[in-house]
Amino acid sequence: MNRRQFLCAAGAGAIHAGCGRQREKSPVAILKAASYSAGLAGQLRRGAELLNLEAKGKRVLLKPNLVEFDSSTAINTHVSLIAAAVELFRHLGAAQIRIGEGPGHRRDTLYLAEEAGYRKEVERFDSLFVDLNRDDVSAAGPFGDTAQIYLPHAALEADLVVSLAKMKTHHWACATLSMKNYFGLVPGAVYGWPKNHLHQIGIDRSIAELHRLFPRSFAIVDGVVGMEGNGPIQGTPKAAGVVVMGADLVAVDATCCRIMGIDPRHLGYLKLSAGRGNLDADRIEQRGEPIGSVHTPFALLDQFKDYRLT
Amino acid sequence: MTAPLETRLDFLRRAQNADGGWGYFPHKQSWMEPSAYAMLALHADPAAKPAWERAWTWMRGLQLPDGSWAAAAAVREPHWTTALAVILHVTAKVHDQAFVRGVEWLLGVAGKENGLLFRVVQKLRPGIVELDSSVKAWPWRLGGSSWIEPTAHALVALKRSAAAAGQARVRERVAQGERMILDRKCIDGGWNYGNRKVLGHDLPSYPETTALALYGLQGSRDAGLSSPLETARRMWSQTRSPLAKAWLAIALRGHAVAVPEAETTAGDDILLAALEVIAATGALS
Repeated sequence: MNRRQFLCAAGAGAIHAGCGRQREKSPVAILKAASYSAGLAGQLRRGAELLNLEAKGKRVLLKPNLVEFDSSTAINTHVSLIAAAVELFRHLGAAQIRIGEGPGHRRDTLYLAEEAGYRKEVERFDSLFVDLNRDDVSAAGPFGDTAQIYLPHAALEADLVVSLAKMKTHHWACATLSMKNYFGLVPGAVYGWPKNHLHQIGIDRSIAELHRLFPRSFAIVDGVVGMEGNGPIQGTPKAAGVVVMGADLVAVDATCCRIMGIDPRHLGYLKLSAGRGNLDADRIEQRGEPIGSVHTPFALLDQFKDYRLT
Repeated sequence: MTAPLETRLDFLRRAQNADGGWGYFPHKQSWMEPSAYAMLALHADPAAKPAWERAWTWMRGLQLPDGSWAAAAAVREPHWTTALAVILHVTAKVHDQAFVRGVEWLLGVAGKENGLLFRVVQKLRPGIVELDSSVKAWPWRLGGSSWIEPTAHALVALKRSAAAAGQARVRERVAQGERMILDRKCIDGGWNYGNRKVLGHDLPSYPETTALALYGLQGSRDAGLSSPLETARRMWSQTRSPLAKAWLAIALRGHAVAVPEAETTAGDDILLAALEVIAATGALS
């Protein structure tokens, strides 16, 4: 897909969202995963089957959440989930699989990937990997009040962007899940480290705008061990024992919030994106495990105490 | 010249794009940042003179009407890499109108934390981010807040330009920029991208940004750098980040602290290869 086709597709998504017709229910798969040690690939395959996921012939960009590395905590998408996702999309017949990330704080992306075990444990990682902070870019948009945003070709050219997110609380946005993970698509070579531009536009609005620009997305959220409290970096590991999957990122993130004991209707970026996805529980078709069986309240910072699901 | 150094220089010579610039990786779009460092790495290499001249022409074509430089031909908007263009002009001893306009642009830019809106919010909620909003420093892009890395590069550019651009005009901005860096030092003795405390929580430093902070403080009369330099030396011996190691070596050399040449790990990373050459040769010291 070229840039013109990409923009048309993004625009078509917006038109569809604004047509007033009630959208179909969004299927979201919840899969139990007690640990990273075994069975993760099988669980992802089961999730793909539950959701009728198709990727045959597609160029797939896997976008993990690789932020900083600290061996004592759970900041990043676990390498086992990435390896399992590579295996899944190979199984589904993807024409091309790439792994791309553009960390917002640290410049040495490959070093972070090394520390997080990605280079060692994902087969042929270096040949699959694109540093999205330093890829070729083109303008897309509009974005917020600005006419355009520069985005990496690896993302613009993908037929399917897969958000391999981490289930974490976030000190600005309350929760960082599949949609917030798209901050890593924005190139540091243009916007710097951190990507201050996104914060200037507003975190919620930037998340919603990135979601609008990538309508061909799929989410796989790593909640096997997430993070609670002062996330997304300085929080505490929290085992939720779950992987959440779906093509509607709003519905996936809303489901993750409900698992974490957060009312998703309070999150600014989900409210802004509700026209492009299903936020309400009665518009989401839960497949796999019911939310109640994996409900794991995450500790929230004081400023989000009113966001608690009651 | 050591064999690893020659290998890196050869890689840089071969990786130049047809337009005269360098991408972050071979055969990719030319960007100002890797091009500037490749040029600095090759500047003293007689065999690279034709490459330098092609790069110079390409780099000069990226200057924008306001005196700033664009990050790349595909991204034609004012960018922090203007500081690198100014450093290249000083290195080439070219102090023409393009250089003067670049320096003027740097002197006219400041982070938005100096603005009224930020200062009002900081007054009302001082715990969000702890920083001294009265000092002027440099953002990545126009309209952004100031951060350690663009500030460090602007400081080096202005310090090197002072003789040609007028000492008095530059001195005040350099003093403020140095104050900003010292104000943003983390509790652990180093620097991160530029926030020492957010929402009441101390943030940790990183080796590469600690290096860049010290790089920006080269020649500073501040007497309190012995502890940060010791922190940087410890980081250099411990970090496994090749980029951090290269920047730490450059920064420590700039403060007359010798470190051994690191083994090359650049692979096809042009920016890293150039920084490793500069770290080994002292081209930025």
